[in-house]
Amino acid sequence: MWLPIQMNEQSAEPLYYQIEVQLRALIVSGQLAEGTLLPSIRELAQSLKCSVITVRRVYQDLETEGLLRTRQGTGTYVAAVEQDDRDRYRLVAVVEAFETAITAGQRVKCSREELDQIFHELLEKHFKDQA
Amino acid sequence: MGNEMAIHIQEVELRRERFQLGPLSLEVPKGCVTAIVGPNGSGKSSTFRMLLNLIKPDKGELSVLGHSIANQKDTGWKNKIGYVPELFGSHEDKLRASDKTDFVRKWYPNWDVNLYREILRMFEVDDSIKLGKMSKGTRRKYEFALVLAHRPELLLLDEPSSGFDPLAWRSMMSFLHNYMNDGERTILMASHIVDEVKRLADYIVFMVQGRILGMYEKDELLSSWHMFYVSGSELAGKDAKSMPGNCVMEDAGCGNVRIITRQAMETERWCERENIEIMGRQALNLEDILAVLIEQDRQHIRA
Repeated sequence: MWLPIQMNEQSAEPLYYQIEVQLRALIVSGQLAEGTLLPSIRELAQSLKCSVITVRRVYQDLETEGLLRTRQGTGTYVAAVEQDDRDRYRLVAVVEAFETAITAGQRVKCSREELDQIFHELLEKHFKDQA
Repeated sequence: MGNEMAIHIQEVELRRERFQLGPLSLEVPKGCVTAIVGPNGSGKSSTFRMLLNLIKPDKGELSVLGHSIANQKDTGWKNKIGYVPELFGSHEDKLRASDKTDFVRKWYPNWDVNLYREILRMFEVDDSIKLGKMSKGTRRKYEFALVLAHRPELLLLDEPSSGFDPLAWRSMMSFLHNYMNDGERTILMASHIVDEVKRLADYIVFMVQGRILGMYEKDELLSSWHMFYVSGSELAGKDAKSMPGNCVMEDAGCGNVRIITRQAMETERWCERENIEIMGRQALNLEDILAVLIEQDRQHIRA
């Protein structure tokens, strides 16, 4: 099974963290339904070109959070996600994307006003049909 | 994939007139791929030979899959090991590959002829020709089929894909991934090929001049060593010594400074706090990391 997880090797963020954030988003958003069997640790490690230690850590962390469960001998499955967890996690990825955008702006020395203006222009552009 | 170890090497020393190996201590975890990386002559192949009891250490203990190697009565563990050396002796050159196979298979009760055939087919190797007539890569492919056909629990691979063409290399990588899939098997390999280590290894051991410089979890190693470029004028006046990550700093021209850190996240945060803008960045690859470690090791010896 292929999972839509992208890795950025040039980032200083540890790989396990990059995978964890994306896998959590896939589960919480419902893209991976309850009961889905995830790839084995070695399989996922191979497809993401990372080590089994990293994947094992991700599975363990998400299991502790209650998002995954492991059945001995059969594999790792997606657990049921509560509605309020879903609401809480829903915005996490969005907030992160905004943060990346702001950092990109700061890199070229954008002022707060400039960023604010760009943001509103883009909002206009994307929502104009729905107005 | 628990915390069990497939190989224990404890305070092992090997003394030769021109070379000393060790004292060497290493633990290779079961269910994982551990790669030994180091320049030529650093003692990788000697380590393999000691693990197979082909040469005996002057000091120290080695054990493989829970069996002490020094114990001569207990040789059953050799059935569970597969070893592909870097070089093959010329004494077999006149032998047909299939004759060698017939000889070797007798020693392994769980020899699987179908698996042997399957691997030969995958690599497109004909075992009816003489070993001496095979190219370097073909010979190695044949030896792989021979070694893997008894489904060893522990694979010792010395420069696994030297002489392989890119397509054979690909089949080899995916074969080894599948081989590891059950989580119980272990690979210890020595390699110069960075791509191979990146694709396969879970742990990396750096070995230089008969000593181990360190054992690292691969992803952690590769994501924590980074190169940053910052402006020298922003760095001036800051307490650069307090920068975390045991950094190397050097002039990169045009008033810029190149920083090499082994704690990328921490260094990045430090720069943020000190208002130093990171203008460029790059993750270090394995050779770069090894080169820095060797250099620091040399300075450490001189000091």
